Amino acid sequence: MMFSESQFDGGSQIANSPATAAANRDTFGLVPLTIKQISEASQSGDDKSNFSVSGADVVNVTVVGMVSNIVERNTDVTFTLDDGTGKLDCKRWLNEPFDRLQMEDIREGIYVHVDGHLKSFKGEKHVAVFSARPVTNFDEITFHFVACIHNHARTTKVQKAQVDAENINSTPKTPIQNGTNGFVSTISSQTSVPFTLDGVKGVDEMVLAYLQHPANYGIEKGIHTDEVAQKLKLPSKKIMESLRTLENDGLIYSTIDEFHYKACEASN
Amino acid sequence: MDTSNPAVLVNGDLLRSYVGRRVRTVVQVVRPEAGGLTGRSTDEKQIVVKGQMPASLTTFVEVIGVADSAQSIHAEIVTNFGDTFDTSNFNQLCQLANGDFRHLFI
Repeated sequence: MMFSESQFDGGSQIANSPATAAANRDTFGLVPLTIKQISEASQSGDDKSNFSVSGADVVNVTVVGMVSNIVERNTDVTFTLDDGTGKLDCKRWLNEPFDRLQMEDIREGIYVHVDGHLKSFKGEKHVAVFSARPVTNFDEITFHFVACIHNHARTTKVQKAQVDAENINSTPKTPIQNGTNGFVSTISSQTSVPFTLDGVKGVDEMVLAYLQHPANYGIEKGIHTDEVAQKLKLPSKKIMESLRTLENDGLIYSTIDEFHYKACEASN
Repeated sequence: MDTSNPAVLVNGDLLRSYVGRRVRTVVQVVRPEAGGLTGRSTDEKQIVVKGQMPASLTTFVEVIGVADSAQSIHAEIVTNFGDTFDTSNFNQLCQLANGDFRHLFI
């Protein structure tokens, strides 16, 4: 995927300094979005040419969907993309030989990756396509939707972190103490706090705190997921979800196999 | 832009919550039949698909159509998804797309 971490830094800069919005436009990467998200994108900026999804500025998008209504003209090709969440109008200007060449592979009814500029015309959004390539392995479709979810989760996490930084809270947060374990860990001492989403709040923090506990952190081969589930008295499924999230966030890693995890840092 | 007719990402278990609605899922073809096929969902449930099929079927197919019962779909579009497909990833995606992140999809 072409999206990178740097775009989120760009996004958070935008939130703090609107004056640099134009200057930062060029640093944006491709944002994976569902067509539903695109339909809900609001327009921001003085010239109303910038879009905003989940609070972050979006310039270029990547979408995966099924092609229909292909209309070929001399100077451009238009088509509709349907990703199951909505239908999006796409236009590919045929400026370079590469444009024509790439569009030859695009046929009705196939799944494609579309990368392009999000634009608005007479109130309707569409994408000015600069790359359209057929999906060859259908795991790419699953991956794209997972990437949309991931992007959304990270964008909202960055914003929450900003809001929380502005409301400085000096009280350290502690996870729910389990009476039989008695382990206590102050989350505020960690450099990166896992701000989690509604519904999964406590679990990620608890799992991370358990793995960061000095006694557990010291075990080279890592802690088995069953042990985590047992000690925290939570279902394995929830533990596995948390472990995945924490691993994706770079806070923990798997060791000898996919059932053993270790934290990247110990708590104090 | 048109988001009026989305197809909900479902697995075998979620199908029952969307009877009568437009859904999409990926199944492993168990048995082709006249006018359809029997498939196994990514969470190991049986799903019967009725409708027009492609001339030849790969191991996995995506079905987009209307759920007419908790175990069957009346297909509008059936697309071959090849002989390899990560079913556990897709299954998890279905759960996420119908759970915390529903608002990104429908």
